[in-house]
Amino acid sequence: MTQQHTFLFFISILLLTVTANSQVTNQDTIKNKEKYGLRIGVDISKPINSFFETDNKALEIVSDFRVLRNYYAAVELGFLDKTTNEDYLNFTTTGSYIKAGFNYNAYENWAGMNNEIYVGFRYGFSLFNQTLNSYTPNVNGTYFIPETLEPNTEFKDLTAHWVEFIFGMKVETFNNLFLGVSVSFNNMISTTDPDNFKNLQVPGFNRVFLNNKGVGFNYTLSYLIPIIKKNK
Amino acid sequence: MKKYFILILVFFLTILSCEKDDICIDTTTANLVIRFYNNDIQTDVKDVLLDSVWAINKNRIEQYKSVSTDSITIPLNLNENSTTYIIENNSIKDTIKFNYDRKDIFVSRSCGYKTIFENLQIDNNSINWIKNININNTIIENDTAAHISIFH
Repeated sequence: MTQQHTFLFFISILLLTVTANSQVTNQDTIKNKEKYGLRIGVDISKPINSFFETDNKALEIVSDFRVLRNYYAAVELGFLDKTTNEDYLNFTTTGSYIKAGFNYNAYENWAGMNNEIYVGFRYGFSLFNQTLNSYTPNVNGTYFIPETLEPNTEFKDLTAHWVEFIFGMKVETFNNLFLGVSVSFNNMISTTDPDNFKNLQVPGFNRVFLNNKGVGFNYTLSYLIPIIKKNK
Repeated sequence: MKKYFILILVFFLTILSCEKDDICIDTTTANLVIRFYNNDIQTDVKDVLLDSVWAINKNRIEQYKSVSTDSITIPLNLNENSTTYIIENNSIKDTIKFNYDRKDIFVSRSCGYKTIFENLQIDNNSINWIKNININNTIIENDTAAHISIFH
């Protein structure tokens, strides 16, 4: 967990540096053309995490489309295969998810610039399986040491619905290529908990905290397919 | 730039010093609670002068060496469906074998699973100083009340 945070931190720093540079170069160009269309990308933090944590495979594809000025319809599709190891538990979560919603861009761009600082809302749905790999019954004291049991119970076809509030930014670094950072605050609406177990990790929602809240970080690299170009 | 460097360093150290944020505070596997009563007046609690208490093939329980008490709390073996205890009172030993079923119940992320013992039975027991045994509760899921009453 600590290691993961450290990596996320470094990615943030990297993106911030790029952001700073790109702003400098963009100031010189004067283009009064507006372009928009479909923007498609990937979350680059997830493959990086997968590389360092072998028990964690994840992928997320992000896309958005400008529907009104400053309003973007957004969809994210993802997949997770993650083994979580706790003090007395070890379980694997596999499944996929979809998030749909919108972003509102609150940033007033200079002429020719195409950046965003936005707030967003998403509805998330996930279909997944949980496998309880092993557990050790928890007992106080050491008079009888419990053996670790390996039931390998698989709980199939579990679902979860949740909402997310997002705060983030996107920066056009090269022509039509965007780097994005966002943080999301997730709130579980409902989830089908397995019998005698709990959904402690949900694809897309991430770790489910005690109060059914969650948090997510996204670092995206996306490409804008400019379908519409027009003068401002 | 130097200002930012310090900021980054502080941030980095903050991340490195992260500790686990969840500690198990829920109740987990319960112990067996035994209360000692007077065999003549069966509603009266009566102290026992315990020399020692131990499960067969195990060490003596540290807590119950040469103490006078009216109740003891002893763990049951959660790897098997029976535990045999030897209770020594005034140099007289009595053996009790407990039989039970085990069920593991999910508690929380940090606590994991706890074991509940069900269908508690006394398989056999010797009657040297113990006169009679009564099972008050066949399910052991908390240690707030006595599960077993021993009359002596």
